[in-house]
Amino acid sequence: MQQKPAEKWAGILQMRVEAAESGRSFARRQYHEGALRIIRPHYLDANGQVTYTVINPGGAYFGADRYLLEFETEKNSELLVTTQSATKVYKTPQGPAFQQMNITVGENSVFEYVPDQLIVYREGSYRQVTSVQMHPTSTLLLSEIITPGWSPEKTDFSYDELNTRTEVKVEGENELKRLVVDQLRLMPHADQKISGLGMMEGFTHTGQLLLADRRLDDELFEKIRVLAEASDTYTGVSRAGTGEVYGVKCISIRTLARSTGAVSALHTAIIDAVREEVRGQSPLNLRKF
Amino acid sequence: MASSPQLSALLGMMQLTDSALPTGAFSHSLGFETYLTSEQIIDEETFSTWLEMFASQQLTFTDALAIRLVYAAKTFDDIVDLDELITAQALPTQIRHGGITMGKRLLFLGAESYPSEWISTYAEKVSEGEMYAHQALVWAILARELGVEEDDAVAAHVYATLISLTQNAVRGIPLGQNAGQRVIRGAQEWVEQAVKASAELGYNDLGAISPGLEIAQMRHEHQRARLFMS
Repeated sequence: MQQKPAEKWAGILQMRVEAAESGRSFARRQYHEGALRIIRPHYLDANGQVTYTVINPGGAYFGADRYLLEFETEKNSELLVTTQSATKVYKTPQGPAFQQMNITVGENSVFEYVPDQLIVYREGSYRQVTSVQMHPTSTLLLSEIITPGWSPEKTDFSYDELNTRTEVKVEGENELKRLVVDQLRLMPHADQKISGLGMMEGFTHTGQLLLADRRLDDELFEKIRVLAEASDTYTGVSRAGTGEVYGVKCISIRTLARSTGAVSALHTAIIDAVREEVRGQSPLNLRKF
Repeated sequence: MASSPQLSALLGMMQLTDSALPTGAFSHSLGFETYLTSEQIIDEETFSTWLEMFASQQLTFTDALAIRLVYAAKTFDDIVDLDELITAQALPTQIRHGGITMGKRLLFLGAESYPSEWISTYAEKVSEGEMYAHQALVWAILARELGVEEDDAVAAHVYATLISLTQNAVRGIPLGQNAGQRVIRGAQEWVEQAVKASAELGYNDLGAISPGLEIAQMRHEHQRARLFMS
C-alpha cells in the first residue's frame, strides 16, 4: 500500500489578486488542485472589489485530510472570499481534518473572509490554522461561525474537537510584529461541561469576527458595541492586540447565540458599519450565486 | 548558617506567591464580576463552579502553560517571543492590561530581590517599552532561577491566583471567611488538574480556550458599576 506523505494536501487553492488601472481587482494568478475549486468572480458593488467563492466539490472535509488555501492581495486591490455552502466535517476516525490558510494583505489593499458556517458532526475533529501577514495600510476582516453539529440522537456538541488559531502579523520596515492571536478550543468529548458557565453558557452557536485596520477609531468601536447589544446574541467587543502595531488597531468580537442566522446578522451589520465608516463602501450583499 | 537550596527556593516561592505581595491582584476579578452582576454567581457554590472552570480554562491554557514554556526556554529570545505571544492572545483589553500591570509589579519587585541575568534584562526591556510583562512569565523566570521544580512553580502560581480570586470573592459577593477557606481548600484539586493538564499542552495551545469566559471578560468593560478593574 502506498504511504501518503505527510505534506500531501487533499486540496490546494492559491490566488493572487491585483488592481487594474481602472480600479477593478482581478486574479492575476490562480491555482487549484484536488478537493478545492473556485468559481468565477463577482463584483458585488461599484467599487471594484472582487468576490471569489470557494467550493468543495466533495461536499465535506474528511478525516486526516489537509487543505491549503493561500490568498495574496497586491497593492490597492480588494478581495472578498466566501464559500458556496457550509463547511462540513463528518466523522474523522483517521484523525482531525485540517485547514491551513495563509493570507498576505498588501499595501492599501483589502482582504475580507466571510465564509458560511462550519459544522462539525458526531465524532468529527477539525483544526484550522490561519496565518496573516498584513501591510500597515491594509484592511483585514475575518469572520467565522460555528454550529453545534448534529447527531442522530439530536444532541448538540457530539463532535470530538474543534480548534482554530489565527495569528496576524504586521509588516514593519525590517521585521514582522505580532498583532493578535485569536483562538478557539471546544472539546465536547473531553469537557463534559461544554454547555456550562464560561464555556458555551447554554448557547449553541459561536461567532468570531476579527478586524484590523488603522482607522478603527473610538466612534466606530462604540458603534459596533451598540450593534452587538441590539442583536439577538450574547456578544463581547474588545480592543485586542499587542497595541497599535505600526499604527494598526484591532477589534475582536466574540459571540454566542442560538442560530447561525443571529450570528450572521450581527457580523453583516458590523461588516457594513466598517465598510461605511472606513472605506465609504456600500453594504455587503452576499447573495449566493 | 547557610540555608539549603531547597529551603531558599521554598522561602522565595512563599514570598513571591503570597497574596499580600503588592501586585494589585486584589483589584482584578478576571471576569467573575460580570457573572456577579448577572447573578450567576451568588454564593459559595456558584463561585466554586466558576473558579473550577477558570482553573481548567484560562489558568491551565495560559498561565500554567506559559510557566512550562519558560522552563523549556533556551535563550532570552524565547522569553521575548512568549511575552509578545501571551499579550497578543489576550483578546479582552482588561485581561491584557491586568496581565501587564501585575506582571510589571512582580517584575520590578523580583528584579530587586532576586536579581539574575534574565529577570534584569526583562525589567530593562519592559522599562524601555520593548517588552510587555506578564505575571506568569515573570514568576516562571524567578522560580526557575530560585531552583523551584517546574510542577511546583506551576502549582504555586495557579493556587496563588485562585486564592487571591477567592479573597476578592469574599469581599465582592460577599462570602463569609470560613466559606472562603472552604473554597480555597477545595481548589487544591483543581490546581493538581491544572498541573497535569498543562503538561500535555504545547506552544500552539497557549491561550486556546472556550468563548464564554472571554465574552464575560470583554463585557466587563461596559458594566455600569464595577468593584474590580477586570
